Amino acid sequence: MRVAVTGTPGTGKTTATERLSTDRDVIHLNDVIKSEGFSTGTDEERGSLVADMDAVAEWLDGREDAIVESHLAHNFDADRVVVLRAHPETVVSRLRERGDSDSKAYENAESEALDVVLSEAVHHHGTENVYEIDTTDRDPEAVAAEIAAVVEGEREPSAGTVSYVDWL
Amino acid sequence: MSEAPDDIWGIAHVHASFNNTIITITDQTGAETLAKSSGGTVVKQNRDEASPYAAMQMAEVVAEKALDRGVEGVDVRVRGPGGNQQTSPGPGAQATIRALARAGLEIGRIEDVTPTPHDGTRAPKNSGF
Ligand SMILES: Nc1ncnc2c1ncn2[C@@H]1O[C@H](COP(=O)(O)OP(=O)(O)O)[C@@H](O)[C@H]1O
Ligand SMILES: [Mg+2]
Repeated sequence: MRVAVTGTPGTGKTTATERLSTDRDVIHLNDVIKSEGFSTGTDEERGSLVADMDAVAEWLDGREDAIVESHLAHNFDADRVVVLRAHPETVVSRLRERGDSDSKAYENAESEALDVVLSEAVHHHGTENVYEIDTTDRDPEAVAAEIAAVVEGEREPSAGTVSYVDWL
Repeated sequence: MSEAPDDIWGIAHVHASFNNTIITITDQTGAETLAKSSGGTVVKQNRDEASPYAAMQMAEVVAEKALDRGVEGVDVRVRGPGGNQQTSPGPGAQATIRALARAGLEIGRIEDVTPTPHDGTRAPKNSGF
């Protein structure tokens, strides 16, 4: 079974999935995209590689029993899709603390406030396969435990349980 | 009738999240808000706040207020994919634009300024939908 762990940058995907105790491979997709050169170009304004989605999909093919972690993970096949959420202010403070630029922190916070990743995840996988987890004020261990519950089938699907539009 | 000059051009900002749609009409600088409405003010159920129906209701309300203040037409800036119950992108956004036009506002340039989640990588434009 493949579980995608997605969410706006800063919601804590990498941190939480590093704390998962699981037999499954944990694939940090952003690293794969960089190391394998799966890009079609560079977004100079954002300092980001534009992912080559077909190349990534092909690379993922055959790696079914895995946890795939990235803010792009919901764009690929998955049996279950975990969407980590965090209040936009939390996104800003976590990203700034991590050393990201203000513009990067702000655009990601705005994406989070507008539910961009959640909407895409539901669009691709349907509400019956999406598991939203609010990480605001929760430590990485608690978030990891809830991801594990999704993987084990102990958690009901959910979407639209938080709203951050008031932050806008 | 108001005595406002009848030749103001404004900007309609449509924020379309998963659960809600918010419409704000500002002057051209974006500094002064001329009219505002959100889904929660026109429908009873939370889950209906992002519906095309809510968007149309809101659009009628804000268009009337804006026309009252002398706004003749608007450029539209849409932010957010919107909508959890219809096909995407932004059923709320599209319904909003049609309703603003029907209420008598001229519609100028429509721009999608949805932010892009990025972290060293990003998806190609529109791969989300
Ligand atoms: N649950 C949490 N509570 C507080 N800080 C967190 C939490 N999860 C992650 N962080 C911090 O926030 C920053 C972003 O986390 P990261 O795991 O890199 O997010 P993502 O992979 O989703 O972009 C890091 O500096 C990390 O230490
Ligand atoms: Mg990460």
